[in-house]
Amino acid sequence: MNLYPLFKWFDTTPISVAIRNSTYIFPVVEVFHLFGLTLLLGTVMVMCLRMLGLGMRRQTVTEVNTQLMPWSVGAALLTIVTGVLLFLSEALKCYGNEAFPWKMWFLFGGIVLYLLTASRMKNADSRLNPAAMKVIAILMMVLWFGVAVAGRAIAFV
Amino acid sequence: MSPFEICQWIQDSSIGTQIRESTYVFPIVEGLHVLGLAISVGTIAIVDLRLIGATMKKERVTDVIEQLQPLTLGGFALMFISGILLFWSEAARLYPSYSYRIKFIFIALLGINAMLFHSTIYQSVDKWNSDAVTPFRARMAGWIGILFWAVVIFCGRWTAYNLK
Repeated sequence: MNLYPLFKWFDTTPISVAIRNSTYIFPVVEVFHLFGLTLLLGTVMVMCLRMLGLGMRRQTVTEVNTQLMPWSVGAALLTIVTGVLLFLSEALKCYGNEAFPWKMWFLFGGIVLYLLTASRMKNADSRLNPAAMKVIAILMMVLWFGVAVAGRAIAFV
Repeated sequence: MSPFEICQWIQDSSIGTQIRESTYVFPIVEGLHVLGLAISVGTIAIVDLRLIGATMKKERVTDVIEQLQPLTLGGFALMFISGILLFWSEAARLYPSYSYRIKFIFIALLGINAMLFHSTIYQSVDKWNSDAVTPFRARMAGWIGILFWAVVIFCGRWTAYNLK
């Protein structure tokens, strides 16, 4: 399947053109992309370290996850919405970029993992055994940090 | 030598030049700078959100602060070291930048904010440790932390684009 026409279309929407024609919209959107990334990775890391038994051990996994997950989800939404805007403004650059598909696969994996585990994470201590918890934690860290690393690489490859 | 000439000299040093011109070192150092940001400011945000009563309200303030501190400090060390290497490679470009200077003013203000918090209201934390709504001064420290870190991130990103 040739995705070039699709990316070409993304590259020419009115939003894409407006962002490209402005000096400031792209950097401002990217600042908000970073706000989201900071909060997302910060909260994901704390939840994962708790699931691995490496941090926040005075609280149960459920206590940590139920209170931080809404912030992770909110931060992820902010990062994705701003990310779509950034993408639209340089869709053709992304089309030829080696890091971009990596980022999308990590993102896809992260979202699928979230959808598969979200209901159990709300009662993690009773609904997940420790081994499963550790596997989920490691996968979650790899996928979400992978999105960030591959995303940063887009600017350099 | 003027400060600018010193910065030019730092940038032109062999280490500065090697970082700037390498294919991999600069992107890796910059990637680590962003990861350090996420780890340190991400955990600081959790503490600040606890102080303003937005998350972890059921947990004691000391539990949140004490258990996240190693992550905050580790992430900050990563951000600080990678930041020095980035400065080394572009000192003469960064020194005149207004956004770069404002960033450091706000980092200093954040240091003062944290010091004031720890030396005043946090001394009596035993009295409000489990309160969902913390005292005014603690909430203020939390809000200042969130807003000023946002300014630091903004200025850091602005500097990279050379937007003054």
